[in-house]
Amino acid sequence: MKIKLVSVPVESQDRALKFYTSKLNFVKKKDIPVGEANRWLTLVSGEEQDGPELLLEPAPMNFEPSMTYQKALFEAGIPYTQFDVADVQKEYERLINLGVKFSIKPTKMGAAKLAVFNDTCGNHIQIIEVL
Amino acid sequence: MAKSNKVNFYEKEILRIKEDCYSNQWQIDTVIGLKNYIDNNFNEQLNLTHFSQIRFVSKYHLLRLFKTYYGQTPNQYLIDKRIEKAKEYIKSGKSVSESCYEVGFESLSSFSSLFKKKTGFKPSKYQKSNFR
Repeated sequence: MKIKLVSVPVESQDRALKFYTSKLNFVKKKDIPVGEANRWLTLVSGEEQDGPELLLEPAPMNFEPSMTYQKALFEAGIPYTQFDVADVQKEYERLINLGVKFSIKPTKMGAAKLAVFNDTCGNHIQIIEVL
Repeated sequence: MAKSNKVNFYEKEILRIKEDCYSNQWQIDTVIGLKNYIDNNFNEQLNLTHFSQIRFVSKYHLLRLFKTYYGQTPNQYLIDKRIEKAKEYIKSGKSVSESCYEVGFESLSSFSSLFKKKTGFKPSKYQKSNFR
């Protein structure tokens, strides 16, 4: 058994595709219609295109408990997931310049540094650098 | 820390964890120093005694500290580092045996079995598999 796919719930797949590709430099991998305007839409990191796929899951628009859960996490400021970066401070500055909003600026936590931003699709996302 | 005036639950948790778990700067500097040392010297013959001597900390205290902060022992981290580097070397066109010795392994058979354990492939199969 292998971990090949992780998912993040998004309020709009179109908006998420735009954000994750244009701001985070992810690359579209699979885009398969699954009915009622929903898609099996996956991305990979631009820096690791043979790595795990990220599914942009339209669950909040189709399953009310998913929306409730997503909103509760968002209001608490809890990141839905996290991505590794080589340099949190540099990535923070790059994303700020692209208009991305951060709820937590680069902060050291033991042997790691983290920051948290809003993906504009209903989630906080954490970036982390292992020091 | 927060952009808005209202501090949310997660920010409070971050502050709490920092205070409860990560307030000892000496420990943090020690483990980060050791990790950086491994990153820069992974191809040398490294062991816990050597790590202890360069960081001036007893072997078992250093082992515990590293595991507390990184979730794995220095040796586990070193093996992961070497395997990642070996993947890079194989991708760049180096042979399996060259890659094995250049990342610091002394035995081709132990390299091969660790590589399989970590990546799911024998190094030779990884080389032929177009790196997937």
